[in-house]
Amino acid sequence: MNIVQTVLIFAGIPAAIFAVFALAVYGRSQGRLHTRYRPGRAWTFRPVWYLPHPDGARQVSAAALNTPSALAPGTTSAPAIETTPAAAIESAQPPVGPVAVGGASGEW
Amino acid sequence: MSGEVVASRAALGSGPSVGRADTPEPFSPSQLARIDEALTLSSRETGLTFSLYVGELADPSRVTAETLFSQLVDAHEPVLIAVSPGQRILQIVTGEGAARRLPNRSCALAALGMRASFSNGDLTGGIVNGLRMLADAAGRR
Repeated sequence: MNIVQTVLIFAGIPAAIFAVFALAVYGRSQGRLHTRYRPGRAWTFRPVWYLPHPDGARQVSAAALNTPSALAPGTTSAPAIETTPAAAIESAQPPVGPVAVGGASGEW
Repeated sequence: MSGEVVASRAALGSGPSVGRADTPEPFSPSQLARIDEALTLSSRETGLTFSLYVGELADPSRVTAETLFSQLVDAHEPVLIAVSPGQRILQIVTGEGAARRLPNRSCALAALGMRASFSNGDLTGGIVNGLRMLADAAGRR
């Protein structure tokens, strides 16, 4: 057994095993680290506002449950583009919205 | 029903301060799917329109939440859940129609459950549980 084989067996194999376990432990969490909320940390994401899916509110299809179809106002979607002229009309004449009468507040 | 999208888009423009646009989405696709399912199912069961806002609420947060709520023009009996993770503030706003079915006591109970999850760092779980509790309290239409 020459020196290259010795190094590969006694250093290479342990290093490979170590790398496999390190990847299994830390690898997956690196990609989703930004979505993890921790109390006390700053919240740097832009505000989002979700409404129930208009069709799904009447009848939920199986496909709707598999894909994120909640309407994010910031994202561009087909209905949003279609209603852009209506949005301009509404902003010109501010309609009377619902009046808040109750609810609850909380801090954590 | 597309008017709801109009309301939300218009509200976002004049709403509280908008964060950096280059930041990623706050929720992963699987978390979004859970939130979407909870929003849709609770709205379908109860006939109320549950709406979720996640972002900064300008001080005073209650007034800001009520301003946001008043922009839900086309929604049928809207209920707004406004969560500001950075400020650790939660606001639930009901209108006249929804308040009859969701008394303040039920909203406070849902808020309590949501706060417990939020303080553990489980934002999605708190939102989903809160929506379920509100839907259960409101009952079927």
